[in-house]
Amino acid sequence: MTNHWVDVKNADVVLVMGANPAENHPIAMKWVMRAREKGAKFIVVDPRFTRTAAKADIYASMRSGTDIAFLGGMIKYILDNNLYFRDYVANYTNATFLINPEFKGPGELDGVFSGYDEKTRKYDKKTWSIQMDDKGIPKKDMTLKDPNCVFQLLRKHYSRYTLEKVSSITGTPKEKLIEVYKTYASTGKPNRVGTELYAMGWTQHTVGTQNIRAMTIIQLLLGNIGLAGGGVNAMRGESNVQGSTDYGILFHILPGYLPVPSASVVDLKTYIEKFTPKTKDPKSVNWWGNRPKYITSYLKAIYGDNATKDNDFGYAWLPKLDEGQNGSWLMLFDQMFNGKFEGFFAWGQNPACSGANAGKVRKALAKLKWMVNVNLFDNETGSFWKGPDMNPKDIKTEVFMLPCASSVEKEGSITNSSRLGQWRYKAVEPIGESKPDSEIMNELYFRVKRLYQKQGGKFPDPIVNLTWNYGEKDASGKIKKVDTHSVAKEINGYYLEDLKVGKKGHLAVNFVSLQADGTTSCGNWLYSGSYTEKDDKVVNMMARRGKKDIGNLGMHPEWAWCWPLNRRIIYNRASVDPQGRPWDPKRAVIKWNPDKLDPKTKKTAPGWDGDVPDGPAPPMADEKAGKYPFIMRADGMGAIFGPGLADGPFPEHYEPLECPVQENPMSKKHRINPTVKLFYGVTGPHDKPVKDGGRPEDIFLTCDIRYPYVATTYRVSEHWQTGLLTRHLPWQLEMQPQQFVEISKELADEKGIKNGSKVTVSSARGKVWAIAVVTDRFKPFKVMDTTIHQVGLPWCFGWQHPEDGSGGDSANLLTPTVGDANTMIPETKAFMVNVEKA
Amino acid sequence: MTVIRKASAFEILNHWVLAVSFLILAISGFGFLFQLEQLNAVFGNFNAMKNIHNYAGIVFTASLILTIFHYLPVSLKFGADDIAWFLNGGGYLSKKSKVPPQDELNAGQKLYYIVILLSGLAIAASGFAIWLRPQVPDIRKLVVLSHLVHNIAFDLMIIAVPLHIYLATLANPGTLRIMITGTVPLEWARKRHAKWVRKMGY
Amino acid sequence: MARKALLISPELCIGCRGCQTACKSWNQLPATKTVNEGSIENPPDLTPNLYNKIRYVEMPSNSNMVRWLFVSQRCMHCDDAGCIKICPAPGALFKTKEGAVGFDKDKCIGCKLCVAGCPFDVPRYDEKDKVSKCHLCSDRIAEGLEPACSKTCPTGAIRYGDRDNIIGKAQKAGYEKLYGQVDLGGLGVLYAFKDSPKIYGMDERPQIPETVVFWHKVLKPLAYWGLGGAAAVSLLHYLVIGPKKDEGGDQL
Repeated sequence: MTNHWVDVKNADVVLVMGANPAENHPIAMKWVMRAREKGAKFIVVDPRFTRTAAKADIYASMRSGTDIAFLGGMIKYILDNNLYFRDYVANYTNATFLINPEFKGPGELDGVFSGYDEKTRKYDKKTWSIQMDDKGIPKKDMTLKDPNCVFQLLRKHYSRYTLEKVSSITGTPKEKLIEVYKTYASTGKPNRVGTELYAMGWTQHTVGTQNIRAMTIIQLLLGNIGLAGGGVNAMRGESNVQGSTDYGILFHILPGYLPVPSASVVDLKTYIEKFTPKTKDPKSVNWWGNRPKYITSYLKAIYGDNATKDNDFGYAWLPKLDEGQNGSWLMLFDQMFNGKFEGFFAWGQNPACSGANAGKVRKALAKLKWMVNVNLFDNETGSFWKGPDMNPKDIKTEVFMLPCASSVEKEGSITNSSRLGQWRYKAVEPIGESKPDSEIMNELYFRVKRLYQKQGGKFPDPIVNLTWNYGEKDASGKIKKVDTHSVAKEINGYYLEDLKVGKKGHLAVNFVSLQADGTTSCGNWLYSGSYTEKDDKVVNMMARRGKKDIGNLGMHPEWAWCWPLNRRIIYNRASVDPQGRPWDPKRAVIKWNPDKLDPKTKKTAPGWDGDVPDGPAPPMADEKAGKYPFIMRADGMGAIFGPGLADGPFPEHYEPLECPVQENPMSKKHRINPTVKLFYGVTGPHDKPVKDGGRPEDIFLTCDIRYPYVATTYRVSEHWQTGLLTRHLPWQLEMQPQQFVEISKELADEKGIKNGSKVTVSSARGKVWAIAVVTDRFKPFKVMDTTIHQVGLPWCFGWQHPEDGSGGDSANLLTPTVGDANTMIPETKAFMVNVEKA
Repeated sequence: MTVIRKASAFEILNHWVLAVSFLILAISGFGFLFQLEQLNAVFGNFNAMKNIHNYAGIVFTASLILTIFHYLPVSLKFGADDIAWFLNGGGYLSKKSKVPPQDELNAGQKLYYIVILLSGLAIAASGFAIWLRPQVPDIRKLVVLSHLVHNIAFDLMIIAVPLHIYLATLANPGTLRIMITGTVPLEWARKRHAKWVRKMGY
Repeated sequence: MARKALLISPELCIGCRGCQTACKSWNQLPATKTVNEGSIENPPDLTPNLYNKIRYVEMPSNSNMVRWLFVSQRCMHCDDAGCIKICPAPGALFKTKEGAVGFDKDKCIGCKLCVAGCPFDVPRYDEKDKVSKCHLCSDRIAEGLEPACSKTCPTGAIRYGDRDNIIGKAQKAGYEKLYGQVDLGGLGVLYAFKDSPKIYGMDERPQIPETVVFWHKVLKPLAYWGLGGAAAVSLLHYLVIGPKKDEGGDQL
């Protein structure tokens, strides 16, 4: 989240699109309802009428996978009707930047941007470049009139997204589109703010990243980023997903969003050169210019005294990706399916149900020699070998079950969507032989380390050189019991020498004090300041529970601690005008105060009031020291033009891999996102599957009479993720006992399906049975003048529990093997199925 | 002294059964109606009292049904004498008042029996409905109705039975022996059931 | 002590059913094996082990494809409680000092008259034929805690507090009259309805069945007045007129 949970209450318009908070983030709805009580308009856009939609002032239905068309139409509406926040757009975004005149958009090039290579399915981004002046600073046209400026390119790109076109793609009636556009665009005034909440409804698409980009463009046009009640807010799917992402759970990032190097990044110098953005603009803070400090302090944190200047701080020991290697979920299981893995730790997950195309995942598990299942309960993954269509005799995989402690059985921090690190305490002891994850890792680490020490092996250095000072050691050097606090302190970082900023051995005050010369350590620079020292006392900032507020905005700066630097709303420098005055004084996040009183010295000096600002520099208009608001970007500007993504600098509508239409209504040539990694071959102008285009497990069928209905998968409030934790809770099972599929009355009539009867839902890859829930909450869409039916089913069930099989099996048996062009998040929100009476 | 048999041994027994079960039902019924926790001294607790009430109900019902054979045929025969009996207030309104000769049961006794029979059957039927709750479309309605009937019948009986007891004891000394020996002195009978005595051939 | 109450605002309810689970958790009520019968509303009705449930109502709408309403259904804790009125067992159903209608399974005799006396069809009977229903977490509120449902509710759709206070707040929020504000002597569970209560599956004017009122007002007094009257008449007769004396001569 750019903002935070409580902040939703400050909005004038709340748009929920790509999410269903009433069911999946009920607490979010607390703040949505607060906003509504104060008169905010609540808009829900969703293919189905959800429990969230039930609370909306305006609900618009939309065919799964057509968000960019919907949002593109809104961008056009905002531009056509001059509803954008001009001062904000001109001063704080790259709308003024001039782009390479050779840049061309999909309107001119049959659905692709300039630089597309059909063979590699990749873009050469040469023509997407920003024009620089002779000082190396982007050329700007503050009038926004230059035909090559981002603003005009944006206008040109979205001029194709007419109401008629959008409506024919999304199936949303024109009047509804206008109603939503008009209401949301009303936040383009300085004193009106709109927020957007999204979740997997946007990310789980082949165009997932661009869905969010489209909204970011809207928010920048309307001047809604950085303000209280604004932002683009990702509601994370689990309480600590934010935390796990921050700590580098993904294959391509180290803790603190430091890129994972590839093999060609041979040493730390190369790493720093490659990944440290530069700017020649003195007004740009370019915070990532600090990358050298963060990577060096990180290396010092993980390798400790073994990391020295002479050995490049152990950089060589960091794991590297092969050139172009992608280690995302779909790729891992594809490799596993190909027999490329011997073993697998399924740690706190249930891929046999949660993985897209779960049938393939289950087959892949059978190729393993061994698997360790770390979980609270045995699950469909640990027991895959006795699951449906499996012959235990043929499966050689040895499965080890390690029971682990639940969240209330251990101490530590979790970071929620608000970027808020909150310390939690152990309520009860773990039962039976179960252990906290950290203890399991501790056991594992020392056993692996000992083996490396004894046997050597190919590359023992990363393991034997690792620091692991998390508590008291036994005679063999093993940590007896992991002390979570020492982990948290290591993450916060230490001064390793006597420095100007602090004395050796003390906890770092925050990341501003980190150094690039190995004199500081820090496990995750974003969390530096979370467990620190104040007045020579060690303070766990995440354990704070102060309720003080700023301006009644719900920021509560003394409640726990959020990254970065306890800044509750990021990019908050954009909430003020260039002179430092809040755009909306009633919702002042920060405010430049020429006579700010220092409570310690009792002296006044110019400074910021309110939230922790994005840097102490004076407002942007200050000739000498003023800074741009978007400090994480090298050019300091909010990116309306985003050349960093794989699939284009502006979001463009592409159909899902499996869709109900023959061709992309926006393009004669490219039906699907032209840059997605394909697991099954395509042919022709409309990306039809080729015959024998790959393994049968990866097959897809689009606009195929056998699978005529659009399907989507989702969660329900009664179950959590694959339901592993909740299916074992009889109370939850009582409320949602069985796999169901929601279908419209129209489709039910057509197929003779009775409410409550058993049906079979099938896709090109698999099938599940489900109970038909025939409802008015689903309605057929009019798409390209034909009637398209949409159905939806949850993915919280699995064959293994309830034990009598009465629950059904995972809806992921239906979903395709394809992911987003940038993130590889699987496209489980839009695919094609058939529904038949069972 | 010549005696005349008014009730068979079985009738006597049945009357006692009916009377005792009624008393149990009435006392526990009062207990339920007014939540008389003092009765716990007798019944132990309300659950026990409910069980006793329910099972006493079975006995009462069976006994009541048996009385049909004893009293119903004769109770249904109404004539001019009965009307005269009522007109004279059964001879109870003053010491001088006289009633015409009565048959085996006088008009008041006949009426009393019919009231007891009807209210008894009603209270039994409604009692069983509350207890057993048969499968019907709207059980709540049935229970509400049964509750109403149970209480109306109870009110009737709780008024009628004390009068019956008074008339059979203090008001008419010597009557009670019918419930003990089944016989009454001929003279006693002549005074009260002259017609019947004549019919019996005395 | 001020009478306590819950205010249920369907406008704020998001149908997440946190309250349903919280209730079961606090009261340790076992789950029932259910099936999906074509609706997410499950179990379909209150049971002896389900004190509080969300009712889901789908109905036509002018502005949308459908209207979907969520409303918590449970014991209303009437001031003039039909169940207590009709209950024959002392202490089986009772009013707590906070105004909740509590129950004591040990004292319940399983007659089920409360089922008939309840205007809202709330009391259920467990497998041992004992009454079972929402008791406003009387064990929690006696300790100054709020009920499990309102504690859990994320949006404030179920709020707990002093009844007068709650009514005042709701009135300030624009609800002139709450459902249950005056009915049955004032309910302990108030509803802030924006529409007719009917569409939420509630009676417009909830009433204790008339026969129960008749019984309470007429039949019950008649029982002791009748008994007493009959005894009095007998006594009077005995004293004034006296018993029939056989020496009075033959019948005519």
